[in-house]
Amino acid sequence: MNRTINVGFIGNPNCGKTTLFNAYTGANLKVANWPGVTVEKKEGHTSYEGQDYKLIDLPGIYSLSSYTMEEKVSRECILSGEVDVIVDVADASSLERNLYLTLQLIELGKPVILALNMMDIVEERGMEIDLHRLPEMLGIPVIPVSARKKTGLSILMHAVAHHQTFGSQGPLIHHHHTGRDIRHKHNHHEEYAMVYQDLIEDKIDLLIERITNTYPDFTNKRWLAIKYLGKDQSAIEGWPLDTADILDRVYEKEIINQKYDFIEEIISETLVNKSSKEERTDRIDRILTGRYTGLPIFLAIMALVFFLTFFVGDFLKGYFEIALEAFSVFVSNGIAAIHAGGMVTSLVVDGIIAGVGGILTFLPNIFILFLALAFLEDSGYMARVAFVMDDIMSGLGLSGRAFIPLLLGFGCSVPAIMASRALEHRRDRMKTILITPFMSCSARLPIYVLFSSMFFGKYAMAVCYSMYLLGIAVAILTAFLLSKIDGSKSEHALLIELPEYKTPNARTIAIYVWEKVKDYLTRAGTIIFLASVVMWVLLNFGPAGYVTDISTSFGSYIGKFIVPLFRPLGLGYWQIIVALIAGIAAKEVVVSSCGVLFGIQNIAASQGMAAALTVLNSMGFGMANAYALMVFCLLYVPCTATIATIYRETGSKRTSALFVLFQLTAAWIVSFLFYQGLSLIL
Amino acid sequence: MVLKEGKNHHTYEVLSIHIELQLERRLQALGLTEGSLITVLNNDKQGSLTAKFRGTRFALGKRIADNIEVREAETDEQNN
Repeated sequence: MNRTINVGFIGNPNCGKTTLFNAYTGANLKVANWPGVTVEKKEGHTSYEGQDYKLIDLPGIYSLSSYTMEEKVSRECILSGEVDVIVDVADASSLERNLYLTLQLIELGKPVILALNMMDIVEERGMEIDLHRLPEMLGIPVIPVSARKKTGLSILMHAVAHHQTFGSQGPLIHHHHTGRDIRHKHNHHEEYAMVYQDLIEDKIDLLIERITNTYPDFTNKRWLAIKYLGKDQSAIEGWPLDTADILDRVYEKEIINQKYDFIEEIISETLVNKSSKEERTDRIDRILTGRYTGLPIFLAIMALVFFLTFFVGDFLKGYFEIALEAFSVFVSNGIAAIHAGGMVTSLVVDGIIAGVGGILTFLPNIFILFLALAFLEDSGYMARVAFVMDDIMSGLGLSGRAFIPLLLGFGCSVPAIMASRALEHRRDRMKTILITPFMSCSARLPIYVLFSSMFFGKYAMAVCYSMYLLGIAVAILTAFLLSKIDGSKSEHALLIELPEYKTPNARTIAIYVWEKVKDYLTRAGTIIFLASVVMWVLLNFGPAGYVTDISTSFGSYIGKFIVPLFRPLGLGYWQIIVALIAGIAAKEVVVSSCGVLFGIQNIAASQGMAAALTVLNSMGFGMANAYALMVFCLLYVPCTATIATIYRETGSKRTSALFVLFQLTAAWIVSFLFYQGLSLIL
Repeated sequence: MVLKEGKNHHTYEVLSIHIELQLERRLQALGLTEGSLITVLNNDKQGSLTAKFRGTRFALGKRIADNIEVREAETDEQNN
């Protein structure tokens, strides 16, 4: 008898569904994508009184129509029979909106249990919900829960166990008094919670008759009939039926309006003491989204996030690096002790530990960033960001929220690209991921500092700063051109719910952060491992086999081979090209590689710089070349960690390759323009 | 008048929505149908505005707000 019961958790966005789901499963869940789409699918397990339950977290949606990917996925999952019982999580403090999905779920004909979440907020506001009347009107069990305080959880599972086979609706007690004239030949009010006006009900009856003839085995004919009335595309395609004589037009508006009419009826009967005083959220919004205060506050919050991520994060990162250093010394000693050759030591220490360890050193940044983002998301502020920044960003065909990853890009592209998940549409996300690496990350600063102080003397600061501005300009130009190409419909078409502000939940935040960190370590880590090995082979192997001198490595051969390609940029020097290739591992490596390749010790110190300047000048490498090099470093292929992250976030090798190719091309073109332009002036 | 011309904390009745079908249907699914009530919360900016309908606050882009035909509802200052 102990068959696992499959429970689908469904609800509006921001209803606390994920918090409730986490309360049952903890962090012990399986995250994958729904087949064929990039919508996340989460599954977890729980047991109650010896019964096993598989919980499926369906995407947050407002309705079961099939206009968005999330809606389609949820609907197909429920209809396919993958789910035995539906738990509809509703935000009790926003019952009117949430009940719309509830009514649609009830119409699907599966067992539905309504979990009323956030009852504490309802009480806080001095409101009361009549928990006896509500199930009478809906015909389904209604269980008050608090996902945050973890109350009502057992009762909810109890209801799931008892109603798993109970698809038809319970005793309905209605007293319709809103001027409804019931002349319909059947009194459906005893069978269904949601009964439409006679015109619609007549048509439903006719349609059911026809469906019965064509698809006698279809289980929920009433649902299908209602879908036909709304001209639902997937219903019409899935179960074609000749309905032309019954359906003279689309009745979708009537169906929606009458559902909301019924919801109004429910609200008026079950919601007592509807709050009349000004709500807390409105007061907070007056400041956080105010005309004069909204933008400065957002910038201040972002400055704080930036500070925490990169200053506090880098502070911790310093300790990580010390530990890593100690670890690689320990490992090289260990390898020496077992008398392995220099090649093995080099592979393990310079290749793998340096590469994979490099990823680990980003952990403090990523941890702090996602902690901050989770806080903003869970408090309800993230949605406001979209509103506050909408006017500025939508001119570029980007969502207001794209500002967050772009800003973080000044620190490090890896967490910045991961932060693009805050964007609601895939196309926006792709665009943002493409242009984020143009924001000059902190690893590129040493390159600017070195070359600008070598070649530009007292203007060094201004030259450094110009890199940042140029990066922003290229990002803006790219976004603008893309929005012209795809004729961005998203322009000024923001549509996003502004949820109530609430105190963030520690458990939700902890699980959110842990998921991201784990994801980063496992997925990006494996790719980085491979990439580190490949880079190591390129720079440590040559036609003669293992080499310790980089100038005889495959890397240098590649460098020499593509010299002609870089001549128009003033970068036709194989050492520079090898340094750039090495810089793919991490941008700051360009500096140390230049030192090695030009045979200069301590290139970043003043004597080293003077020596390097002499060498470079003797090769005809002047100011214009230096500037072109900086521009190229600003724009060309981001580091392996970033490429791995791009791959992880786009989920496509082809897209990632295209992005990298685009960035290379952009770097080439812009460097070319600057080199040629500057050569004329200087 | 259109929604973008609405005043803060005034409630309007939706007369019609003139926007591409996909977006119109999304708005309908959220309950913004003809005849429904919408209260403007913050229309201070040039572009997008915030408004409350069917019990939930939303931010609406300028293009949406410019294409929703409304008229002042009879009961003012109503929080629907």
